[in-house]
Amino acid sequence: MNPAQGPFSVLGVFDTPDALLEAIGKVKGRTGHRLEAYTPYPVHGLDRALGYRKSPIGGMVFVMGLVGALSALVLELWTSGWDYPLVTAGKPVVSWEAFVPILFEITVLFAALTAGLGMLLLLNRLPALRHPMLRSRSMALLTRDRFGLAVESAGEPLDPEALALLLEDAGAAAIEVVERPPAPGPASPKLLAAALGAILLACLAAAGTTYWGIKLFPRLIPMAHMLDQPRLDPQSGSSFFADGSGMRPPVAGTVSQGAPPRPLPNAEASEGLVNPLPGSAAVFRRGRAAYDTHCAVCHGLLGNGEGSLTDAYGARPTHLTAGAGRELSDGAIYHVIVSGKNAMPPYSSDLTEEERWAAVHYVRVLERALDALDTDFQGGAR
Amino acid sequence: MLAGALGLAGVAAAFFLCERERFWINWVLWFLFLLTTGLGSLFLVALEHVVGARWSVPLRRVPETIAGLVPPMGAAALVGLLSLGTLYPWTSAEGLRDPLVAAKAGWLNEPFFALRAAACVLLWTVSYVVLVGGSRRQDQTGDPRFNRRARRFAPLFMVILGLTVTVTAFDWISSLEPVWYSDIFGVYVFAGAFLAGLAATTLFTLHLRDAGRLDGVGPDHLHNLGGFLFAFTVFWAYIGFAQYLLMWYANIPEEVFWYGERLHGAWGGILLALALLHFLVPFLILIPRDAKSRPRLLFGVALLMLAMHWLDLYWMLFPSVAGGPLFGWPELSFALLFLSGGIWWVRRLMDRGEAMPVGDPFLREGLEFRL
Repeated sequence: MNPAQGPFSVLGVFDTPDALLEAIGKVKGRTGHRLEAYTPYPVHGLDRALGYRKSPIGGMVFVMGLVGALSALVLELWTSGWDYPLVTAGKPVVSWEAFVPILFEITVLFAALTAGLGMLLLLNRLPALRHPMLRSRSMALLTRDRFGLAVESAGEPLDPEALALLLEDAGAAAIEVVERPPAPGPASPKLLAAALGAILLACLAAAGTTYWGIKLFPRLIPMAHMLDQPRLDPQSGSSFFADGSGMRPPVAGTVSQGAPPRPLPNAEASEGLVNPLPGSAAVFRRGRAAYDTHCAVCHGLLGNGEGSLTDAYGARPTHLTAGAGRELSDGAIYHVIVSGKNAMPPYSSDLTEEERWAAVHYVRVLERALDALDTDFQGGAR
Repeated sequence: MLAGALGLAGVAAAFFLCERERFWINWVLWFLFLLTTGLGSLFLVALEHVVGARWSVPLRRVPETIAGLVPPMGAAALVGLLSLGTLYPWTSAEGLRDPLVAAKAGWLNEPFFALRAAACVLLWTVSYVVLVGGSRRQDQTGDPRFNRRARRFAPLFMVILGLTVTVTAFDWISSLEPVWYSDIFGVYVFAGAFLAGLAATTLFTLHLRDAGRLDGVGPDHLHNLGGFLFAFTVFWAYIGFAQYLLMWYANIPEEVFWYGERLHGAWGGILLALALLHFLVPFLILIPRDAKSRPRLLFGVALLMLAMHWLDLYWMLFPSVAGGPLFGWPELSFALLFLSGGIWWVRRLMDRGEAMPVGDPFLREGLEFRL
């Protein structure tokens, strides 16, 4: 890969940072080669003395910081404002105030990672495991209390004697000619096999540990701070309230949002109410959603009174698609949804006016489904 | 001189012609502006001693001199005690009728307030004498023991400053609205004070450099001042936003009303100006490495920050007594008097001695500082 011959560099070792800076002034411009300094800690004024150009890292960090800020903004707008809008503490779903901390953190993350990794990997090309300086005898000193100035070859041949004289004139306390490491030979098949085998074993071990770990400790939650709170779970009891229940019923007279409060018709007057919604597919879908959410736990997904709560509850809710249930008028069903009946609580605070009527429609759909006509199936006449 | 005389006449006229509230709120605003600038500078001096910084030794006399504003402004604060009955609602029986204010009566009462203010002034003056007086004495003696003494005292001063700035912020600013309460308010005022100290130090350093009194202070020293300004404008914005975010989220009436007064109408415009000119614009200007050591640019940014520190205090104080932003001849007179007086005082202190701490054994090392 590297056809260069001869030594990699001639290295002068200096006792103090001042001697190093002085030497750079003397050596700079006197050789056609690259100059590089090696110090155990950052020496003030060194990069200016060596005449380094401005590092591009600042620009990289700035651009990536902007990218981070924009990514965070898009992520937040999309998740909070578009994909899953969730009202928190009565604030608008898109609240710039709430976005700022995340925006700030992601910007810093992108910028810091760019600064760190960009400097180490991209600009310094680390890890340079085959760098010739790693074989230098003086390296132990240069990482402790001495300061090195190297005249390095970028591939062109060096003149070690002349360069050694130059560095000695500049005040070097010791000189070392750093050779290139021998070119890497082809990897031996045995080593390759061993490496591949080790990777395979590691994969197997990781997979096995994960598999058995999940199997043996399925409910091990590493961090349960959010779960273990002194709070009341839904349906749990509490000695705090007089009725012994932890959940509070809505205030009497509560209606759901969007449904204007109106006087409830009595049972007789409701009989004759006509469903104001058309029997369209969209209405059926809304009705199904309302029914499955609020009614199905007791009345069953099919309306047969065999919901998932029926066994635990003891009592049997009305069978909606057979017998007396089937004879109820639309208005009567609507009235029960609004006012409740026997053990069933009123659902006026959970269902909007539209949802109630859509649910009534859906109950009719369930009834029809039990003895459907040929024309109800796809392809059949309307 | 002329401006000062004009300002003095205006202030005297304001005392007789203006409503008392307007006179005293201006008084509080202006002594706080110069006092926090001086305290921020004194903090910069202490910071150098604590961390043992060498690069800033040639510059140290500049913040030391600006810190000279602290004793006279401490006196102005004591004069400001006369404003308590006029400005502060908790001094009246009517103000104490609010149970939230009555519960704070153990802290908010005139004797205790005066005692705290006097204690703060005393502590600051003693700290000023130890840190700055010792440094000036070292000019003649060259006694290196001062460095050790200052290094031991500086951490103590930082604790003192943290407590006294918090007390000052709670007492003089936030007790104008005695119902309001914010834990972080002291930190916010400190952030503004330190930034103002840095900005004043930068301005005065550049001025002295142009006058040829700071030989050896090069672009690398300026670069560090620019870096400080850059970092602490972010700190100020961070703290300010942290205070706002928590109150915005919690939305508790006795907290948000303070922002409610300061977010709407013209006050909201001032807050927007603060967000842009106290933070965003200086932040963006100071990002490039070269910008931090360009004298003219740095001068402009530092001037802007000092003006914004004033506007920040104005935005905190004035909405408590005025319905909308108020800037007329009384405000202008106060500005003329306190600005020309402050500049005159600092220049007089500077002209009395050396412009650098010539007796400090680390001065040479500081002058040789390169990035």
